[in-house]
Formats: sequence, structure tokens, C-alpha cells
Amino acid sequence: MSNQHTEFADFFQASWEPCLRALVAVVGSPALAEDQAAEAFAKAWASWPKLRRHPAPQAWVVRTALNTGASWWRRRRRELPLADHDLTAASDPDGGLDAILLTAIWRLPRRQREVIALRIFLDLDTATIARQLGIEAGTVRMHLSRGVTALRHELTTTENMEAGQ
Amino acid sequence: MNVHDEMSDSEVLRAVSELLSRISVADPPDVEAITARGQVRRNRRLATAAGLSVAVAATALALSLTGVLGPSSARIPGSMRTMSFTLVSHYNGTATLTINPDVLLDTTALQNDLQRDGIPALVTSGRFCSSNPAPAGFWQVVSGSMAPQNVHNGEGFGPGNPPTVTFNPAAIPAGTKLSFGDLPPSSGMHGVAMGLIDANSYTCTSTTMAEVSEVAPLSVFWPAGQS
Repeated sequence: MSNQHTEFADFFQASWEPCLRALVAVVGSPALAEDQAAEAFAKAWASWPKLRRHPAPQAWVVRTALNTGASWWRRRRRELPLADHDLTAASDPDGGLDAILLTAIWRLPRRQREVIALRIFLDLDTATIARQLGIEAGTVRMHLSRGVTALRHELTTTENMEAGQ
Repeated sequence: MNVHDEMSDSEVLRAVSELLSRISVADPPDVEAITARGQVRRNRRLATAAGLSVAVAATALALSLTGVLGPSSARIPGSMRTMSFTLVSHYNGTATLTINPDVLLDTTALQNDLQRDGIPALVTSGRFCSSNPAPAGFWQVVSGSMAPQNVHNGEGFGPGNPPTVTFNPAAIPAGTKLSFGDLPPSSGMHGVAMGLIDANSYTCTSTTMAEVSEVAPLSVFWPAGQS
């Protein structure tokens, strides 16, 4: 086994879960996210001689997976019309705060979900997120702020409703 | 007033993170499957860099001129589509071929696409190539709806149930390649045959569906006249 192969294998083992969770946060369906992640890691190996020097290779994988996902989703959406329902049911079959918060997450605009996912699961700073998504740092801050505000509002509303019962 | 009114941005993100982290996700697949899939992409890139891009472009042009590639056949990552077949590459390194029984098989496009997916193949039209003795291991290479119980009977295949086969390139023995023959209509049936051949020792002969079972471990057919 070559040094590069060993290096990639270590990267893959360390990165699979955070990348997959970031994708789940964006696309909603764990099965879809898994397919996209696998395809993106295969592309990562194909580009490993260059990617191994990338400042944020996990972010590259997530961005690649999401780009792959666009065409993949267009191809498969008739087969997965209710993908986000899988996730809601898997996480909290009885509903409650978790289900409401999950619903709120997937009601966010996609760009807000992407920014939040990269911040949470890959621990990227604003500048790196901006570079990976190809947008301005100020735009990242705006999406993050709006997303967090919406989720905070959902948390507050839900707590108030539960307290009033 | 609610406790969440006091939540900072980082606390909201932490709550979201904890929630999403409770969702069970799949364990990582075997890294060898990932690198095998990636290697196919790397090989394609190297082949292109070596100058085969001209040949690919010529093939695409030829296909478009003959009407094989229509507007809906734009390449999608991981899949090859023509009107006569669809070849989808999977991340575990396998590839699934679905044949459109309504359309004459484009054998040139199929051979190119199989090879681009890392599947050494010899695709012929009107002939079938075989080695004597035939290399072992064919059934480790193929699976799918063309299962052994369907061999030589062809029942059920047609426009509503196209034949499919999944190839596992990693199982192809060294020094061998897949033989794929598109056979001429015979006795009202049209179909394809497959087997493994020694890459350096094989013969190709004109054959019919009735005769091919003598040399091909797998053959499927459907009513002719639909293409």
C-alpha cells in the first residue's frame, strides 16, 4: 500500500462521519447523503495528489458531494419525494421539540443549511466557508445569522407552547 | 420570557449539532471500494490526458450524427446513457447495464463506456467471441436480473422489463475480458450473450441465439421486431 493510499485511508476514516453528517443536515435524507458522500470520496481519491495539499479537504468533499447531489437529485427525485420524512421519523418518531426543530432546519433556505452544516460539523471559520461556497464572507455571516435567528425563534416558540400546555 | 431568548448563536448551533448528531448514520464503506471507484475516474482522466479525448469527441460526434445520443442523453456523473442502453457506475466499483429492448444495441458505444468504467470488454455485433477452454469466474463477475435461472429462456424480458446486469470489474481475472455479443434475430427472438474470454486467445464466430448456448454461459433474449 502506497503512502498516499495510507494517507487517504486515514483521511477517509476520520472524515466520513463529519462529512456525512454535514450532508445529512443539508439534504435531509441519510441514504441520499451516504450515496453523495461515497461518490465525493471516490472523487477525492481520484484527485488526492492535489487534494492532499488542500487547506480544507473535508469541505472540498462536502462541496463536491453537494454538487454531485444536484444532478443526482434531479435524476432520482421521483423516487425520493419525501426524503426528509425519513430523517424526522428516524430521529424522533414521537414528535416533540426534536421533530419541530428538524422540520425548522429543513425549512431553512438551502444556503443557510449549507453554512450551518459547514460551521457545525467541519468547524470551519467564515472565510473558509466563503471560499468553499464561492460567496463573500459577509454573505456567509448573513446566512448564518438568519439561519440561527430562525432556529432560535423555533426553539423559543416551541418552548412557550410546551410551557403553556 | 423563555430560556431560549437568552441563547447565544453558539448555543443555538450546539443545540442543532446535538440534535443532528443523534441521527444514526452509516458506517464508512470499505475504503478499497472507494479507491477502486476513484481509480476508475483517475484512469479516465489519464486516458483523456493521453490524447484519447479526441477519440471520445469523435465518438460522441458520430453518435450524435447517427441519432444515438438524443437531447436527453447528456452525461451525468457516474452514468452513461444512450437510447439503446444505460450504464450506471456505482461507488463500490460495480456498474449496472440496462438494455433497451426496443432499440438496436449500439455496440461501439457500449464497448467504449464499459472500458471507461474499467471493465475490459469485447463487444461484437452478429458474432460471439469465446475461448476454449473458457476462463473460470464468470459468475463472480456478473449478477442482476440476468440471473442463472433466466439463462436461455428469456421469459419476461421486454419493453416493460428490460434486461439488466451488474458487472464487478474487480472480479474479472487477470488476462481475461468480458465477451458481449449482440446477436441477430433468430426464430423470432433477439438478444445478447456474455462470457469471459482469454484476452490473448479467442475466436469470434457468427452465431444465432439457438447456437450460442453452446459457448456462452449467459444469454438472454426477447421477441424480435421491437427495434
